[in-house]
Amino acid sequence: MEQATPDPERLWQPAPLEPLSHPDAGLESMVGEETKGARDEGPGDGTMTENNFSLKKIEISVSEAEKRTGRNAMNMQETYTAYLIETRSVEHNDGQSVLTDSLWRRYYPHIVVPPLPEKRAEFVWHKLSADNMDPDFVERRRIGLENFLLRVASHPILCRDKIFYLFLTQEGNWKETVNETGFQLKADSRLKALNATFRVKNPDKRFIELKHYSDELQSVISHLLRVRARVADRLYGVYKVHGNYGRVFSEWSAIEKEMGDGLQSAGHHMDVYASSIDDILEDEEHYADQLKEYLFYAEALRAVCRKHELMQYDLEMAAQDLASKKQQCEELATGTVRTFSLKGMTTKLFGQETPEQREARIKMLEEQIKEGEQQLKSKNLEGREFVRNAWADIERFKEQKNHDLKEALISYAVMQISMCKKGIQVWTNAKECFSKM
Amino acid sequence: MSGGPPKALPSTGPQSLRDMPHPLAGSSSEEAVGGDSTPSPDLLTARSFGDKDLILPNGGTPAGTASPASSSSLLNRLQLDDDMDGETRDLFVTVDDPKKHVCTMETYITYRITTKSTRVEFDLPEYSVRRRYQDFDWLRNKLEESQPTHLIPPLPEKFVVKGVVDRFSEEFVETRRKALDKFLKRITDHPVLSFNEHFNVFLTAKDLNAHKKQGMALLTRVGESVKHVAGGYKLRNRPLEFAAIGEYLDTFALKLGTIDRIAQRIIKEEIEYLVELREYGPVYSTWSALEGELAEPLEGVSACIGNCSTALEELTDDMTEDFLPVLREYILYSDSMKSVLKKRDQVQAEYETKLEAVALKKEERPKVPADVEKCQDRMECFNADLKADMERWQNNKRQDFRQLLMGMADKNIQYYEKCLMAWESIIPLLQEKQEAK
Repeated sequence: MEQATPDPERLWQPAPLEPLSHPDAGLESMVGEETKGARDEGPGDGTMTENNFSLKKIEISVSEAEKRTGRNAMNMQETYTAYLIETRSVEHNDGQSVLTDSLWRRYYPHIVVPPLPEKRAEFVWHKLSADNMDPDFVERRRIGLENFLLRVASHPILCRDKIFYLFLTQEGNWKETVNETGFQLKADSRLKALNATFRVKNPDKRFIELKHYSDELQSVISHLLRVRARVADRLYGVYKVHGNYGRVFSEWSAIEKEMGDGLQSAGHHMDVYASSIDDILEDEEHYADQLKEYLFYAEALRAVCRKHELMQYDLEMAAQDLASKKQQCEELATGTVRTFSLKGMTTKLFGQETPEQREARIKMLEEQIKEGEQQLKSKNLEGREFVRNAWADIERFKEQKNHDLKEALISYAVMQISMCKKGIQVWTNAKECFSKM
Repeated sequence: MSGGPPKALPSTGPQSLRDMPHPLAGSSSEEAVGGDSTPSPDLLTARSFGDKDLILPNGGTPAGTASPASSSSLLNRLQLDDDMDGETRDLFVTVDDPKKHVCTMETYITYRITTKSTRVEFDLPEYSVRRRYQDFDWLRNKLEESQPTHLIPPLPEKFVVKGVVDRFSEEFVETRRKALDKFLKRITDHPVLSFNEHFNVFLTAKDLNAHKKQGMALLTRVGESVKHVAGGYKLRNRPLEFAAIGEYLDTFALKLGTIDRIAQRIIKEEIEYLVELREYGPVYSTWSALEGELAEPLEGVSACIGNCSTALEELTDDMTEDFLPVLREYILYSDSMKSVLKKRDQVQAEYETKLEAVALKKEERPKVPADVEKCQDRMECFNADLKADMERWQNNKRQDFRQLLMGMADKNIQYYEKCLMAWESIIPLLQEKQEAK
């Protein structure tokens, strides 16, 4: 099947999807600026136009995990799990695309980007498999991926991401298509920038607080998940040991006359009790997954803060540079030398420069200053723009987080209630058997 | 105790406790009519010098009254057993009020023994004395010596093997008190043992120590006779019914041992689970401090887990204090019962050996000498006593275990009910909408 448009970038214009290193990525420009004429003349899967590709009309489901072997980025053979993604818009049943699990992360600097589910099983309690091929883990990951896609689809801005669209619709090696956009390079350089350390003089207080919060959140959720895994481990032990009662009551009942029946049937209930823990703990894993999502979200929050810092640093550097140029200019004009410059040194060493030379330099500087002032202005604007947009998304995120975590806590409480009720049931049954002894 | 004329068993008849020789008293070589083994009235008086509470011997019970100590009246006793449970009970014994005594030489605990009785053997309707563990130990030894054909209930363990337990702690003392109470109640319920003079002295004597010293010389004679019987005879075949009892006791003790180990393991796992819970709950509190809208829900979950932890601790304490000791008691019980079975075997062995010896003597008209007849008596009494006691023991065991296991089920039900209540109560808290931001 031929891809109609050789340059996917032309599907939507301008490219709001310039993500990373370019600080000018103003994403709200995306809205309403998609090319109306752009059509995907692809294989009759159905036309995806901007009109069709709207929030409410997308249904996404992730299903059918299967094992595959292939070559990874380092050209090494590896086994991975492939999930089937089905999207459906109201009008047509769109094609299906298959994705590999080496899905990479898309950055929108001022957006708190939904995190992917974990690649490897972590925070496992020891009976739970840490094997990535384990069917339970694969299933939970499937749910996690579906959740991720739904989050992206329901985000007012992210849902229009072209890469996301490609991801959902493109058959074959969508990664190649994406790479053609030169995206990968930008992604890498962006990551490099993030890792650099620098000092910002006047960061926005709110971002400092947010960064602090995200650090704390990450720490507390990690701790919680670790302890929860240990709790699950211990609980498993308690239930399973009760299974031994089943066997010994049965053996004992063999030598008893009147007590025999009661003991035997009580033993059966002990077996039921012991085996009930498996489902209980499996359910609890869903709760852990919900917490994990927000653990990973903490990183996304940090990324936004980091971006702000980057921009702020950039701004401060630009202002500093401008100030220094202005001063140089002034000094040249007035003849006083206060700042160190190479020219100044060479002048001292090799003799004064001519007035013409000086004039030339002053002119150059003045041009640079003009440019610099422009740049500073636009950087300032961008910076404020960023803060505004970022904060809007952060507020959205907060609402989402509060809602989701409350729901998670409620469902956890419901699980506990169910477990208690089962426990009461089993022991009541056992008690009745004992009473008949 | 009212009763008709005793059913005839050779060599017994209606006699007072004090006058009647115990079937096992006296060695076969002496034609003792039991005078040696039965304390004479004089000696009884001597024993009681200075002690007004001691029962003074009467000249003898009115003729026609069946002496409860005779095995001939045992059958009557058995029939009356059912009546004893309710209104015809005439002896009540309770152990309570533990107190610590600190002396120069040692520190120990005494318990108050309260006795209420309408029996003629008791001078007063009510007694209250203080006894310590060694006194109970003394009593049990005396009972074993003087009533070797009966099953004597076990005492709680003398020494605390598991190292770290504080023998003055409230829990330990309470557990012991319950066991001692059970011990005395079992004797009280026994138609023969409850009339034992040592038991009487134990319940009534102001100064038991004085008693112990006096009593030793006399009572050893009875012990001697038993020991004499116990020596050197090998039984060829244990009769079927006693073999069955032996096998039953072996398996029973085995199963109880397994149950004890399982119960201990469960408690251990529960304690480890508790340790993790105690770390788990507070993490929610830590998280709550970071949050705004989620603060209350998270704090609620933390408190909830705290409540569950407390409930779990109560469960493990109860199981340790109430469940394990009873299991251990029954294991000790079955051990002592096996010893009694062995003694019975020896009595039978002696009889059979002597009988054979007679049969081997070449006499024209072999007549069974008196001492062989005595052996036969002994054996038959032993068998009768043991059978009766076994039946009683089986009934009590069934009741005790029904109560014990129902208690275990109950405690677990209560634990789950407490947890259920905790979780159900926070659901509304989790669901409530934040009023103002």
